[in-house]
Amino acid sequence: MIEVQGLEKTYSTGSVTTSVLKDINFRINEGEYVAIMGTSGTGKSTLMNILGCLDKPTGGSYRLDDTNVGSLDDDALSHLRNRKIGFVFQQFHLLERATAMRNVMLPLIYVEDYPEDAEKMAEKALSSVGLTDRMEYKPNELSGGQQQRVAIARALITEPEIILADELTGNLDRKSGLEVMAIFKNLHQEGRTIILVTHDQAVADHAQRIIVLKDGKIAEDRRVEKQRDPDVELSTLAGGEDEQ
Amino acid sequence: MRIQRIIGQSTQALGRNKLRTFFMMTGTIVGIAALTVIMAIGSGTEKKVMKRMEAFGPRAIMLIAGGGKDLPPPDFNLTTLRMEDAEAVRNQVQGIEALAPAAFKRQMPIKAGGEQIQANVFAVDSDWHEAWDWYVSEGDPIAAEDVATMARVCVIGQTTSRDLFGNDSPIGEYIHIQNVRFRVKGILKHKGTSPMGTDFDNRALIPLTTGMRRLFNQEHITYVRIKVKDLDQIETVKTQVRQLIHGRHHITPPEEDDFRIVSAKGIGDLARGTSKTLSILLIALAGLSLFVGGVVLMNILLISVGERTKEIGLRRATGATRGDILSQFVIESLTVTLFGMVLGCGLGVGITMFLAQATKIPVAFSWEPFALATLFALLVGTFFGVQPARKAAALNPVESLR
Repeated sequence: MIEVQGLEKTYSTGSVTTSVLKDINFRINEGEYVAIMGTSGTGKSTLMNILGCLDKPTGGSYRLDDTNVGSLDDDALSHLRNRKIGFVFQQFHLLERATAMRNVMLPLIYVEDYPEDAEKMAEKALSSVGLTDRMEYKPNELSGGQQQRVAIARALITEPEIILADELTGNLDRKSGLEVMAIFKNLHQEGRTIILVTHDQAVADHAQRIIVLKDGKIAEDRRVEKQRDPDVELSTLAGGEDEQ
Repeated sequence: MRIQRIIGQSTQALGRNKLRTFFMMTGTIVGIAALTVIMAIGSGTEKKVMKRMEAFGPRAIMLIAGGGKDLPPPDFNLTTLRMEDAEAVRNQVQGIEALAPAAFKRQMPIKAGGEQIQANVFAVDSDWHEAWDWYVSEGDPIAAEDVATMARVCVIGQTTSRDLFGNDSPIGEYIHIQNVRFRVKGILKHKGTSPMGTDFDNRALIPLTTGMRRLFNQEHITYVRIKVKDLDQIETVKTQVRQLIHGRHHITPPEEDDFRIVSAKGIGDLARGTSKTLSILLIALAGLSLFVGGVVLMNILLISVGERTKEIGLRRATGATRGDILSQFVIESLTVTLFGMVLGCGLGVGITMFLAQATKIPVAFSWEPFALATLFALLVGTFFGVQPARKAAALNPVESLR
């Protein structure tokens, strides 16, 4: 599904050329749950932007479902993002003055064929993240965890093939973070392809596979031995610790 | 449709920040309001001018004693315009249908029974009725015989009749103008009030000879009314009359004339002239506020683009193309100016109605100002909206999400 070969990304400012990604090779199959890890400055954000079709590589190739992303123009990239990719960001990026429903429906503005049951789809997406009774709330009336769940519902509404999440628990407390991870576990079980981008080993351990970046190169690409189960951790949390 | 959904996003964004939206609108509101007022005054003035030209008589020319460029009244002290001049025009100028010399005095005392009033008194010959297209509604007009015999008869206006005789018929009754007794032989048809406020119906017509010799005791006349046969001939007739009187009065231009020749067109031009300065001022105001309003709109939009960088990045990430972002911001700008246009038209209509009530400025509404307002709203909205919209569309999604 995703195939990256000899991928490179260099930035040039004036005469200075900085190489951010060098000779990246990997495949991600449909239904995989992958974490891309690395400390800040290792190029993981750049890699995420390329995988999310927000940016183009300067060398090598990135194929998404047999489409060579590097050869597409800006409009084609926009359409590809709309159809195939659902983003979840650390800062949620919700429209402040719009309700949860309106926020979730945002990607539908840019689809080719607007679904007749758009509102139903949005309701379904919000229900699937446990926000059935918060649909008409605005972001400032919701907790951080709830806001992130609205963002997840927004990523799901177009039924994308890949969910790309960038430090999705970075702004959440432990319990909200686990709740969000539990939603991701579900999505994975439903057969979706998920890519987590994180600097946090504890977050990465929720995935099946971890790709570690170091200085713009792949340092490690391994299966996770002991995958964390957010549901189990949540139940023990309910018995002991209070939420922060 | 996609564009409808984008329009929805634009209007929602504007609705979420109403105060800012209002500020973006103010320039358009003021500009369009000014435009509406100007055009209402313009067409009101034009209507009034047309009415005046109509009242004057489109085929009429007046040869009036006294030089200068202003409208009547004529110079009553000037004695150079004579009956012989009128006769020369009648005999030597081609294309004349009717010609009527007249002498008149303003506000002469008229008595009848116990009543005394003041009215304008016109000494006219029998052609006066035809030259002015103004006939009697009751009794008889001034006849050629009355002029020949210096008869002491008169035809009076409706107001004069009512003031002196109430509802009784004045025909056959006697009135005194100064101390000369006249028999009333007819009443003129109702004419109404001049745009300047003079009552046309307060007047007395007497035979020209009687007026000049008995009442006014003068050898000169005040004006000659000329009705031409063909509307196209007005200018040629005017030129002929001017040349003729120049010769008779021994005037060689650039020496100043001792007479004026006025036609409906001249009346129109003069009446328009007075409202021109006001119009030019208001047009300048409208143009200026539309321009300043456009600049303000553009700046607020630019600030808005800066503040909404993350929103733009998010839209791009979820699939908006550059074109979609461009459309959204241009539509925001257009919505502001079109909505401002509607409010501006409303305000303009309000101000115009107030002016019509509170002042004597003539106004009239037509569809043109609204069409023009829509055009201006579209122009300003597009012209000043494109720059911020292009800035928004050019944002790099990766950087704007950071």
